[in-house]
Amino acid sequence: MARIRVSDAHLEVRLTGLDALWALRRGLTVPLSAVRGATADPGAAAEPKGVRAPGLHLPGVAAVGTFHRGGDKTLYAVHSGRRTVVVQLDPGPETSGFARAVVEVADPRAAVDAVNRALARR
Amino acid sequence: MARPRSFDEAVVVDAAARCFTELGYAATSVDDLVSATGLHRGSLYGAFGSKRGLFLAALARHTAPAGERALDLLLVAALELAPHDEEVRAVVERSCAALGESAATSLGHRLLERAGVQSAAPPAPQPHPTPRRS
Repeated sequence: MARIRVSDAHLEVRLTGLDALWALRRGLTVPLSAVRGATADPGAAAEPKGVRAPGLHLPGVAAVGTFHRGGDKTLYAVHSGRRTVVVQLDPGPETSGFARAVVEVADPRAAVDAVNRALARR
Repeated sequence: MARPRSFDEAVVVDAAARCFTELGYAATSVDDLVSATGLHRGSLYGAFGSKRGLFLAALARHTAPAGERALDLLLVAALELAPHDEEVRAVVERSCAALGESAATSLGHRLLERAGVQSAAPPAPQPHPTPRRS
């Protein structure tokens, strides 16, 4: 389970437990100006993910780490996929090249609302 | 880096608007939007940012609320998003202002018509009933 935190100027995706180990990163912090939106999207966990580097991929069980597909760099941290949130980014140096984060959180609706509310205020 | 888009945004937004009006906002999954628009999930997110972004694009294409689709979108926006989304509320306010004094009547009639309720007569301007003397 990942955590999404929104502050005045930043969005932080934090990986927890073993996810951080498999992904070889604690998460991703980006300025709000580089965030395009958030969506609760369980179906995203079932999409083809591409090539992992580095990460763990047990199809149908878990996908954790950095994946490359079709020119997009995506941070995945999904297990069952039921509570998946997709955060779309403007890929660039500020996002370490990531185009999106696809992570499972405890409360997808609250996470999506928090992100989109922060964007509407911007 | 934004790649050149290889799809017609108007067609995609219209297909999404159809999903939103038929299913409602919350019940429309990104899977529904992917199959309705024929776009890849990644392209959809790349172009619109989120499901909400796509909904806002659909609303923006129907700012002059004429026709059933526009009224249906407005109903969905007012019912599902406006209570907790200021940006959507502002769009709903603008659309209602464009509808003028009959905004509530038009929306109400469309709501009943959608529900298949028989009594939905066309929104003719009704003169105030004069109190009957007995």
